[in-house]
Amino acid sequence: MNPVLEEIYSTIIPSAPYLIAAYALLWVALLVYILIIVRGQKRAEKQLELIEEDVKGRTL
Amino acid sequence: MADSKKRTAHKLPEAGQWPDVLSPWVIVAGIILTTLGFLMAFFVVPPVSGATVNGAELVGDTVVSNKLLMSQKIFYFHMPVAITSFAALAFAAYYCVRFLITRELRFDTCARIAMEVALLFTVMTMITGEMWTRFEWGVWWTWDPRLTTYLILMLIVIAYIVLRNMVDDPIRRAAFASVVGVIAFIDVPICFMVTRLIPSSVHPVVTRAGGMTPEMGLCIALVGVGMMCVAFALYRARFRQVRFAERVDALKERLDD
Amino acid sequence: MSRTTDTPLKVERKHPSSFSQYKVLLTKDLLREVRTKEMLVSMGVYALLVIVVFGVALGFAAPGTDFLEVSGGLLWVMVVFTSLLGLNRSFSVEKECGCLEGLLLAPMDRGVIFLAKATSNLIFLLIVEVIAVPLFWLFFSSVALPAETAPLIALPLLVGSVGIAGVGTLLSTITTNVKGKDVMLALLFIPVVFPLLYACVAATVAVLVGGDVMAESFATPLALAALYDVVMILISWFLYDFVVS
Repeated sequence: MNPVLEEIYSTIIPSAPYLIAAYALLWVALLVYILIIVRGQKRAEKQLELIEEDVKGRTL
Repeated sequence: MADSKKRTAHKLPEAGQWPDVLSPWVIVAGIILTTLGFLMAFFVVPPVSGATVNGAELVGDTVVSNKLLMSQKIFYFHMPVAITSFAALAFAAYYCVRFLITRELRFDTCARIAMEVALLFTVMTMITGEMWTRFEWGVWWTWDPRLTTYLILMLIVIAYIVLRNMVDDPIRRAAFASVVGVIAFIDVPICFMVTRLIPSSVHPVVTRAGGMTPEMGLCIALVGVGMMCVAFALYRARFRQVRFAERVDALKERLDD
Repeated sequence: MSRTTDTPLKVERKHPSSFSQYKVLLTKDLLREVRTKEMLVSMGVYALLVIVVFGVALGFAAPGTDFLEVSGGLLWVMVVFTSLLGLNRSFSVEKECGCLEGLLLAPMDRGVIFLAKATSNLIFLLIVEVIAVPLFWLFFSSVALPAETAPLIALPLLVGSVGIAGVGTLLSTITTNVKGKDVMLALLFIPVVFPLLYACVAATVAVLVGGDVMAESFATPLALAALYDVVMILISWFLYDFVVS
């Protein structure tokens, strides 16, 4: 490749890992929070199940 | 119990109200906008020029005589995420004030969730900022105004969350947390102003040479609105989950009596 | 209740003015300190110990004029940690004697309590600074001598101390009743006080180095620090009511 063109594009490959890491970690952070929400919901639903069984047990 | 609820002059935020109806549309809008912004950042907006190069070449249809920087593309997500985190802090402060005025614990819950979302987006800001700084300046950290202010924002939101864990009584916890929330909201702009206005001899204020082209501005605006939509949807989702858990717990307590 | 005399007894309830309430609270704190000297002694000794640690920390750095720039910052490190100690102790004393609860039973404006507490904290901090800052220079005079503008250091110290006392009083009222109080105070205090610290260190370094650094970066930081003080103290005063209940 033409040496000048090479120099023009010289920073692209070294910067690629940082660029990709930045975007990837962004999505990881969002996913982590979504997982926290989902986990909380599952836990609360399990509690509700326990309560339903308890109520059923009492009315019987 | 139901009567006292009806008698309150204002309606309390609850899962299933109008924001929840909007929520699915908002998240779709958010995803579309951020994807559009992402594509625009990489394909439409011309890359920013770095150091000059000896010689000029024809690239596409312009004569280029500088190094073309790809790493600056991080900025198109870094800035919107930063703005979103501050918007989340503003919402948290709003709910804190409403709690202090009305003493309704529901607002404290809203404030806590808004702070969680603020923390999430602040972490995202720090990640993107770190990656950008590391590549551009070759160091992992500089004490420039933006990074420093975001560090302080992150520390204060963490302090808010730690404080909440340290207090048991719900009303006390809400009162203390709300005060801290208001102080946090006021402190962050002051911090930004101070670090911007006082030049530091060792760590100069880092401002990009050259302004923002309209295309860059549009891209940032697109991603910005998209990120705010994502933040809003996350807030509502978390709010619904927390309210669900709270109601289940309240039910459990009533049954235990 | 029937009275045999003709003239009815006029019971005049004189509600003490806010200022006299403030004076009473303030003198109570100051008198207690004069009697026991508990806080001043511990804060003073703590400041001295911090200076000793600095001595070790800087013991292997080559002396030179660069020290002046670093010393401005170090001075403020000492002030921040000493004030954290002082704030923690001033409220633990109240808790031990149960005075705060007693105060709250009296029908007085909460803002007055805040101002009185903040003023007493400020006075203690200033007294300790008056002793510790010259002491600092005593220990480090062999390393570098400050410029002639040095006495102006009183200004950033004063402005900074006012801000620290104000915000610190609010935050320590929150954290005395919380688990892990000392750490919690530090966790809240340092990010909130950061802009003030930044401005005061900039002004202090300008004062110590003198010359053209002084000309360009003394007025702005000092003005910003003063602005911080005004805003934060007003907010703290207003919010104090919600914290004490």
